[in-house]
Amino acid sequence: MSGHRARAWKKRIAPLLYILPAFSFLAIFTYYPIAYSAFISLFRWSTAYPKRVFAGFENYIQIFHEPLFGVVLRNTAIYSLSTIFFGMILGFVFAIQINKRIHVSGAFKFALFYPTMIPMAAAGLIWLWIYAPTYGLLDNFLRLLGLPNAGLLYRSNTALMCIIIVSVWKHVGYYMILFLAGLQNISSELIDAATIEGAGSWRRLRSVILPLISSYTFFIFIINIVDSLQSVDLVYIMTQGKPANATNVIVYYIYQQAFRFWNMGMGSTLTTLLTFFLLCCVTIVFATVGRRVYYEV
Amino acid sequence: MRNRPALRPSEHNIVAYVVLIPVSIVMLVPMFLLISTALKPLPELMSVNFTWIPRTVVLTNFVKAMSVAPFARYYINTILVVSMIFAVQLVTISLAAYAFSRLKFKGRELLLVLFLVQLMIPPQSLVVPNYQTMSRLKLLNTTFAIGAVYFASAYGTFLLRQAFRAIPGEMEDSVKMDGGGGLTAIVHVFLPLAKPSIIAFALVSVSSHWNEFFWPLIVTDTVKARTLTVGLAMLTQATESSPEWTLTMAATIIVVFPLLAAFVIFQRRFIQSFMRSGLKG
Repeated sequence: MSGHRARAWKKRIAPLLYILPAFSFLAIFTYYPIAYSAFISLFRWSTAYPKRVFAGFENYIQIFHEPLFGVVLRNTAIYSLSTIFFGMILGFVFAIQINKRIHVSGAFKFALFYPTMIPMAAAGLIWLWIYAPTYGLLDNFLRLLGLPNAGLLYRSNTALMCIIIVSVWKHVGYYMILFLAGLQNISSELIDAATIEGAGSWRRLRSVILPLISSYTFFIFIINIVDSLQSVDLVYIMTQGKPANATNVIVYYIYQQAFRFWNMGMGSTLTTLLTFFLLCCVTIVFATVGRRVYYEV
Repeated sequence: MRNRPALRPSEHNIVAYVVLIPVSIVMLVPMFLLISTALKPLPELMSVNFTWIPRTVVLTNFVKAMSVAPFARYYINTILVVSMIFAVQLVTISLAAYAFSRLKFKGRELLLVLFLVQLMIPPQSLVVPNYQTMSRLKLLNTTFAIGAVYFASAYGTFLLRQAFRAIPGEMEDSVKMDGGGGLTAIVHVFLPLAKPSIIAFALVSVSSHWNEFFWPLIVTDTVKARTLTVGLAMLTQATESSPEWTLTMAATIIVVFPLLAAFVIFQRRFIQSFMRSGLKG
């Protein structure tokens, strides 16, 4: 009887003990905060209301009527999608080239990948200096071409583009490496077979390589939506959302609401909306490629 | 790599050089500018004629950067944070990865999904509630608060789980025959055999937390626990109007140097590690 019990205990409980340490930290710093911010989002809680007051969905109604929120969402979408789009296309092209039999591929890899090793905050500073008015590299370059000083980072229609350029510069090497990993998984026999069949390089790319790395590509795409939340570092360092909120993105907006205006109710509401969006992404990943990537041997 | 014939130039490869050489030069421009600016005296920078090579090379910017901000302190804090995070992560992920790869139990699938959630909702998006937790626990301005939110790593768990699965069962059985349990097996069999994955995880973990900015910024408001990246940002924001670029670039070099140097020396290792981090391992 006790032997049976001990065995049952070993089978059921022991495995959970191995999971427990990791799970506890996840519970405290991931699951609980998700639930807590959903709860707080139902309250007025700010400098005007230091004691929190239950308000139902007031914060949600308010945020969806706030024009700035729409601007922030638009900026975030433009930033994320263009970083990922240009980063992935360029990363893929570079990966194809660097995967060829070439000399000094190490030097090329260094040149393309080193920005990954630099903190976003430092990258932001270096580029702030490049974009600096008059003395900055960009203005010097434009003067050389006889063009007027542009101050691109300080104009509301070009500021976001300036930040996207930094982001693409920062990420393209990383995307290249991910694609390189995918390309090197394609067996060379398959490529050779296509070559023997008379497929040219364009045809090989379209009919063999692209289909083979397509689910992988989708996976990189979703994972990098999450990665693009890091844009907040660049925005904080380079523009603080200026000019006229042209570079205000969601995590920076959350930061402003919670830590500049000390409106924790609104900060929590925005956090909850972001969490909800990301959870939808989890579901998509899981329903499609995630299952295969994580579960199969 | 795999028995490729010797390099021979072909039309094919010329395209590669035509693409990669100009792109590499453009990619390196910020790095050249960083180094060139940090070595210039300030007046030379503010003369309108721009030069790549400083007319006079000075190290005073570095000396000044070290004196206006407590970079030694920031270094110690950063090293503390990254090593604390990695040490705890190694324990939590190897235990979880062992259970997920070797043990069958009820709720395994559900737990895997729950771990997956952290991959998609990183601590960065949860700064508001996590700040409140740290505030209530009176942990603001501590290196512990900076590190604790990363102590569990879904990414590390999945990476190690994949590595553990590739290890043949007989290896574990021999430990069991000698009367060892799961912990013995992890320490003596799984971890040593999963070394490449652990190195990969270590490099990715250490470099990403060395470079982390937003969360340390939120939980610190004194120099006590501040890390390098936050210190760097504070240095530039302390100066009114436009930053003193020579000083700022020197400070930036102080912050990025260790990782970049490590990358130059161990480039192959780093790149292989980041390749593995594509979660295909």
